Amino acid sequence: MSKRSLRVVTAVIALFMAACAPPVTQLPTQLTPGTGKSFRLTRSAEADISTGHSTTLRANTRWELVGTVSMGEVYRTRDQVVTLRGDGIHEGYIVVRRGALVGFYLPVERAFCPVAQSQPLSIEP
Amino acid sequence: MHIRAVALAAVAAALMLSACATSGLKFSEMGATMAAAQPDMGRIYFYRTALLGAAVQPEVRLNGEKVGKAVPNGFFYVDRPAGNYQVVTETEVEKKLTFTLDAGHARYVRLNISMGFWVGRVYGELIDEAEAKSEIASTRYIGAATTP
Repeated sequence: MSKRSLRVVTAVIALFMAACAPPVTQLPTQLTPGTGKSFRLTRSAEADISTGHSTTLRANTRWELVGTVSMGEVYRTRDQVVTLRGDGIHEGYIVVRRGALVGFYLPVERAFCPVAQSQPLSIEP
Repeated sequence: MHIRAVALAAVAAALMLSACATSGLKFSEMGATMAAAQPDMGRIYFYRTALLGAAVQPEVRLNGEKVGKAVPNGFFYVDRPAGNYQVVTETEVEKKLTFTLDAGHARYVRLNISMGFWVGRVYGELIDEAEAKSEIASTRYIGAATTP
């Protein structure tokens, strides 16, 4: 194969790879509804979900408890849209355990998506 | 030769632009005339701002039901009961967006276009209300609202 052909093939493969993203991890889980707790995120946080796209949680957003899953407490906000992006886009609620973001709960899919690395959140009541 | 090529390009551009044109009222003009959703329903707005890939206008399906088309510079809306929703658009591949809808609330789905292998790929993205209201203001109404 000539160098020129190789370059063309490489470019085509690169374009194809750029157009495709891996799916968002979805581990089936069950949400036990709950209410009565909330917090304010004082510093923004960026969550890596290993799809090549990250999700940003904005500072000064208020989060309300909506329930628990085995991985932690599930909180939702109305102050911003939270989505997880892979080959599709899914709305997500955050899952917090001992003050750290450990993943997202996907309410439509009823599934848990872990973050690549859990990270402490800066919060206040 | 150059003048002829320029003239041909101008005609082609004019044809493309006329194909993109949407004739309905602007969102900002319709505000007062749009009836509010029933109290037990939520509203989902769909809009597309990008003129890029204007010829690519796939159907928009909401939980399997065709609710409209991804027309550049256009918007439409549907009222639905609270629940879980999946938006699907399909060109060379199927793209999905999932989200929840609460009664009395609105969700905004922007229909974006990205590069595909053979043709552009149109996909729905959930947008914050403030950003969506600013973007949707200049788009034009392209379809009647439906109720289930």
